[in-house]
Amino acid sequence: MAAFAATAGKLLGLRAVGTEGRWLRLRGTGLQRALLQPVSVTGDEALTRQVAHFTFQPDPEPQEYGQTQKMNLFQAITSALDNSLAKDPTAGKDRVFNTPLCEQGIVGFGIGIAVTGATAIAEIQFADYIFPAFDQIVNEAAKYRYRSGDLFNCGSLTIRAPWGCVGHGALYHSQSPEAFFAHCPGIKVVVPRSPFQAKGLLLSCIEDKNPCIFFEPKILYRAAVEQVPLEPYNIPLSQAEVIQEGSDVTLVAWGTQVHVIREVASMAQEKLGVSCEVIDLKTILPWDMDTVCKSVIKTGRLLISHEAPLTGGFASEISSTVQEECFLNLEAPISRVCGYDTPFPHIFEPFYIPDKWKCYDALRKMINY
Amino acid sequence: MAAAAAAAKVWGSSRGLGKAGHLLLRRLGARGLARYHPQRQEQQHFPSLDDKPQFPGASAEFVDKLEFIQPNVISGIPVYRVMDRQGQIINPSEDPHLPQETVLKFYKSMTLLNTMDRILYESQRQGRISFYMTNYGEEGTHVGSAAALDSTDLVFGQYREAGVLMYRDYPLELFMAQCYGNVSDSGKGRQMPVHYGCKERHFVTISSPLATQIPQAVGAAYAAKRANANRVVICYFGEGAASEGDAHAGFNFAATLECPVIFFCRNNGYAISTPTSEQYRGDGIAARGPGYGILSIRVDGNDVFAVYNATKEARRRAVAENQPFLIEAMTYRIGHHSTSDDSSAYRSVDEVNYWDKQDHPISRLRHYLQGRGWWDDEQEKAWRKQSRKKVMEAFEQAERKPKPNPNLLFSDVYQEMPAQLRKQQESLARHLQTYGEHYPLDHFEK
Repeated sequence: MAAFAATAGKLLGLRAVGTEGRWLRLRGTGLQRALLQPVSVTGDEALTRQVAHFTFQPDPEPQEYGQTQKMNLFQAITSALDNSLAKDPTAGKDRVFNTPLCEQGIVGFGIGIAVTGATAIAEIQFADYIFPAFDQIVNEAAKYRYRSGDLFNCGSLTIRAPWGCVGHGALYHSQSPEAFFAHCPGIKVVVPRSPFQAKGLLLSCIEDKNPCIFFEPKILYRAAVEQVPLEPYNIPLSQAEVIQEGSDVTLVAWGTQVHVIREVASMAQEKLGVSCEVIDLKTILPWDMDTVCKSVIKTGRLLISHEAPLTGGFASEISSTVQEECFLNLEAPISRVCGYDTPFPHIFEPFYIPDKWKCYDALRKMINY
Repeated sequence: MAAAAAAAKVWGSSRGLGKAGHLLLRRLGARGLARYHPQRQEQQHFPSLDDKPQFPGASAEFVDKLEFIQPNVISGIPVYRVMDRQGQIINPSEDPHLPQETVLKFYKSMTLLNTMDRILYESQRQGRISFYMTNYGEEGTHVGSAAALDSTDLVFGQYREAGVLMYRDYPLELFMAQCYGNVSDSGKGRQMPVHYGCKERHFVTISSPLATQIPQAVGAAYAAKRANANRVVICYFGEGAASEGDAHAGFNFAATLECPVIFFCRNNGYAISTPTSEQYRGDGIAARGPGYGILSIRVDGNDVFAVYNATKEARRRAVAENQPFLIEAMTYRIGHHSTSDDSSAYRSVDEVNYWDKQDHPISRLRHYLQGRGWWDDEQEKAWRKQSRKKVMEAFEQAERKPKPNPNLLFSDVYQEMPAQLRKQQESLARHLQTYGEHYPLDHFEK
């Protein structure tokens, strides 16, 4: 229903999402009303589609990479791909092409290309559909170099896929499967939070000599807009970024959730006078333990948040490592604010996601521990 | 939006969106009308609209009789052969007329492989290596196909293609080094025996999961095509692996993306204990090729010349025409699946003996050689002694060598070692300092 409404919205030329991530109230003629307004109405404001749970915060315009242009996330990714393709002088439509609908084939084929030394960038339409390729990724791509004694490798393979909640994606258009791959030595897993980050990280993945999976927060494709350099540039992998310094609590997230915890940091400062250190992990595997531990040693408190379900989610890995390395520095148990242990629901998404209120509440409990 | 885009695809993307949308609506409107509606009659854009199907998905005629196509398994795709079971050329025009030197190389490769198999199988039985897989009965499929390729053609195998490496002169020392996992193993001791790989000989390292190499071979072929490398990729797999999804993926991608790849299926009758009657119900693997739009052939895998001819022609055309070929080489797995298998549990000794005695690629080629006066019993005796000696020497050497340094447990996971892994490596080193006596350190390089 929601998807149909989106299509109808598009057909009627309505811009549904503003840069602040808010849904515009859609008024109009009968057709829209029928599609977009529910049967029951509470108060005098009919329930429209959910307000986005985050506010994208653009980073300041980068100075060191030359001319920049306003780009959203998908434009930044396209820019990265254009830069990458430009490195290959052999033109031709056989460089960017459709394949039959088969993820195990797409990834297997990409591995084969990479084995010959050519660069392969394989797209999986939604991260939710990456599982048919799991065998090729885990048993083949990740192990190619190791098992051959470095005679062969598929380092020039990058797999990219849209990732994370989008407001109406439900079970199969919202998943964040990074934890499955975090358990697989030999691949790298990267999640950008913004257009500028996405381009630099994607280029690093493409150039990295190991097979990489690049998950793109689809909800940010249009919602995230900032100044992005036109020329290629690299943002290093396996380096987390402290995007806001603080002294009382460390907040860790990746992708869309970084913007949620950024807001939580403001709320904490405003309502509780608590100073938060906000970290964007960026690379899930291999992950930057040092930056996170250094921060927790300073603050004594850690909150990790991700959309993926709680049990076995990547927050567990971070939490386990931090308690090993920073046990005596901890003032409170490490807090994980994550999706519930359910498949990703459709109509219940507003209740499912680890929004700023849940994060704020967990933070408050940690402070008062 | 999507409908208009589809229309643009069909009618031409150069039109503006609005016009394509308009055009589509008009045509649909006409189609929606009854056949003899006056307005429809005026639409003379496609006069043959009523006679031929217009579906984008198939190019075919209409038929008005309900009939299901019967799969033909009683009399399937015929088996191409050049020699009869006594090694006599049947049709002289199919004789590849290979020089004596080449045919002797075929024979020596197959027999040397056979000898190595016997010794290494035994060595597993004696607890010297952990595992082994023999190639008994399938030597012809390896050597015939390998000989038909260029030495730089890329090979993706499954696990029962050691003869391809043997033909490419991979030294006995390195076969054994891999099986023993000793310091000379170019794979650095990481995999079980028979998981060979050789960069210089363009033989991609074997991995255990079945059929995963199939779409990879196709991707590699695509890259070779783009690079104008004049190179073919050959991909070996068994009839069991052909049931995997990766096989279907590989075939379909190869055909749609026009890749110069040879799919070489060794149909040896069994996937461990699963006979072909439980593996598929259609006419083997060759019959699947046409379903994907792939040129296909079935050959007698025990006839080294038939395998050679088919592979040679497939190679020539695959590179020239940028399309895949499927060769199904019928053969028989004379040995057990591996040292972990006892095939007497699921097949009769008589059945195995038939193939070993009556239809073996090595004996057929020997008959051919003897018929040509290129080989005799004395040479056979001498060669058996010589090849056995070579194998035993390599074997004894492999036995004596130490295993690689345990630090090699940690390298090559990534190109560069991540910090966490280095810490783990250091933790093992510390652990061994205290508890080293409980570990077989004496057998490993320091």
